[in-house]
Amino acid sequence: MRSTHTLLMAAALLLAGPVRAEDSITLGAAVQLTGALANTGRYYRDGYQLAVDQINAKGGVAVGGKKLRLALKLYDSQSDVNLGVRQYVQLVRQDKVNFLLGPFASNDALDDSSVAEKYQIPMVQGGGASSQIFSRGYRYVFGTLPPAEDYFASTIAALGKLTPKARTVALVSADDSFDVSVAKGTRQLVAAAGLELVVDKQYPEHNAEFSSILSLIKSKDPDVILWSGHEPQALNFIRQAKTLGVSPKLLYSFTVGVPTADFRKALGKDANYACGMTPWLPSKARRDDWFGDGEAFAAQYHQRFGYAPDYHAASAVADVEAFAKAIEAAGSLDPGKVRDALARVDFASLYGRVKFGANGQIAMPQTVIQIQDDKVVPIFTDTFVGKPLFPLPPWDKR
Amino acid sequence: MALLAQIVVNGVLLGGLYGLMGLGMGLVWGVLNIVNLAHGALIMLGGYAVYYLYTGAGVDPFAALPLAMLAMFALGYALQRWLLGLVIRSAQLNTLLVTFGLDVLLSYLAQLAFSADLRTINPPYAGSNFALGPVTVPLAPLAAFGVALLLAAGLQAFLVRSRTGRAIRATAQNLTAARLHGVNPKRVYALTFGLGAALAGAAGGLYGVVSQLTPYVGVTLTARSFVVAILGGLDNPLGVIAGGVVLGVAEAATALYLDPTYVNVISFGMLVVVLVLRPSRIFERA
Repeated sequence: MRSTHTLLMAAALLLAGPVRAEDSITLGAAVQLTGALANTGRYYRDGYQLAVDQINAKGGVAVGGKKLRLALKLYDSQSDVNLGVRQYVQLVRQDKVNFLLGPFASNDALDDSSVAEKYQIPMVQGGGASSQIFSRGYRYVFGTLPPAEDYFASTIAALGKLTPKARTVALVSADDSFDVSVAKGTRQLVAAAGLELVVDKQYPEHNAEFSSILSLIKSKDPDVILWSGHEPQALNFIRQAKTLGVSPKLLYSFTVGVPTADFRKALGKDANYACGMTPWLPSKARRDDWFGDGEAFAAQYHQRFGYAPDYHAASAVADVEAFAKAIEAAGSLDPGKVRDALARVDFASLYGRVKFGANGQIAMPQTVIQIQDDKVVPIFTDTFVGKPLFPLPPWDKR
Repeated sequence: MALLAQIVVNGVLLGGLYGLMGLGMGLVWGVLNIVNLAHGALIMLGGYAVYYLYTGAGVDPFAALPLAMLAMFALGYALQRWLLGLVIRSAQLNTLLVTFGLDVLLSYLAQLAFSADLRTINPPYAGSNFALGPVTVPLAPLAAFGVALLLAAGLQAFLVRSRTGRAIRATAQNLTAARLHGVNPKRVYALTFGLGAALAGAAGGLYGVVSQLTPYVGVTLTARSFVVAILGGLDNPLGVIAGGVVLGVAEAATALYLDPTYVNVISFGMLVVVLVLRPSRIFERA
């Protein structure tokens, strides 16, 4: 009687218990679920979770004739870079996860990726675009956001094809890792396009008060404002530009924020005319082995989480898919072998073509987008795909 | 020259709002000797109150301010009476710890309740401005500045003229003597903290109109309020507004003539200078 009981218990445990470690592949990450970056951190939490669930629903990942399930181990880094680094160490040393996914934002990815390199556990991160992350000769770090230096490349190319011609540019950028890279690349792009930089100001990311910079811009009356930073600061910039009546003659563009629904909701009709860029838009043309295509993914994401995905979420999904592809190609969970397979992956996904350069970073063109009548409209890739509202009317004529 | 005038206007208007933030913190600090690290979180809550009154019930943000202040007064009163009152006679480190914990708690509860979405209070006139010679005067910050002045003057009058105001000052100056004259310190403390919270609530609503709200704006606003309260001294409400204006103009000028990334160096540098030159300032109470 007693032994039957024990056996039953054991059977129940086996049935109901979690999948045993060797039957699953655990991906670990420390993401900003609370704190100042929680607003964008959620794209990574939800993107990772959706990708893991979808890949499992389609049978998991084939390794050496066996189908393994993916599992996700997430920590909340509370938007604290130092805490994030400790959590990555914990993921590697205590939780013994198989592979690492990244946090949001270059500042975090810059530090967190050092943990991956130190312990030689591959990390695919979709939240850091700064070239600082990829210029250190690391072998275990891969990135699915295109280089920050090139964020404004397509915007400047589009300006070259629009009349009236732009001549002067004001560049405003934050002082964090991502924006420093953007500014560095943009200065070169501006010079190469024969444009004149009349304002070049850096602002502190944690004290985004733009009235002085805006007053300076107004006194220089530039044709174009190229603004680099993150979403909360972009909102401040646009609202303060309106209250001070500052508007460039032709166009303004923002590195981050414009593609998100949150941006349009917070600004209302003041979001109109803002240009931005995205490496990703939900499109049927982007086929995907697990989700069908980009549009189907966006619908599934929206339905499950109650808000629309942007490129951060798509990039997060691509990170998980890159691991699935690389693990299958490597036929093993050995970190070194999977690292080598990651360096060779080349597949079509809902995010776009995933193929890493020699430094580990993806190369993707940025589509210029503009908010028109509360909608994100694609404008320019290497040719015009939509009609821009150009030139930008001053605030009192909008 | 026009640029300089514009910078001064920007700085003064922003400084008024800084002043209002510092006012509530300075009042609580001066009377209760509590450095309220949750002050920024109270500002944040006031901001959300105005946000929901505006977007949910269609109340104009400036008309919603008194309602938000009332709600924040009640919250502040309750916090002091049933939470901070328990530790107010212990070492100052304890009140620091409790208010720090309160800040964390309120921020995280706010994310649960309001999500981490960025919120702006955006009435149609929020972006309006008018020209004054070569200077553009933004309307919403000007109105915020006016409200800050009005509240500071009101607080001044209340502290000097009214019976309750005199009881608050008496408690700050000499607790024992005040008690001998029939002042109930528990009630006075709760009232004062409530007033501080109400002022924070007003500052939050105005902040949402000129800037934006997230559950986590509190920490930087606490730091700013702290600097302003010290610059302005704790003894005079209008002095605190003046402290805010000094800070606002200094920051705006730094951003233009030095570099925007030096703004925090300047504001905290000013704090250090004041503390070195006039350390008695923070001890001269009410």
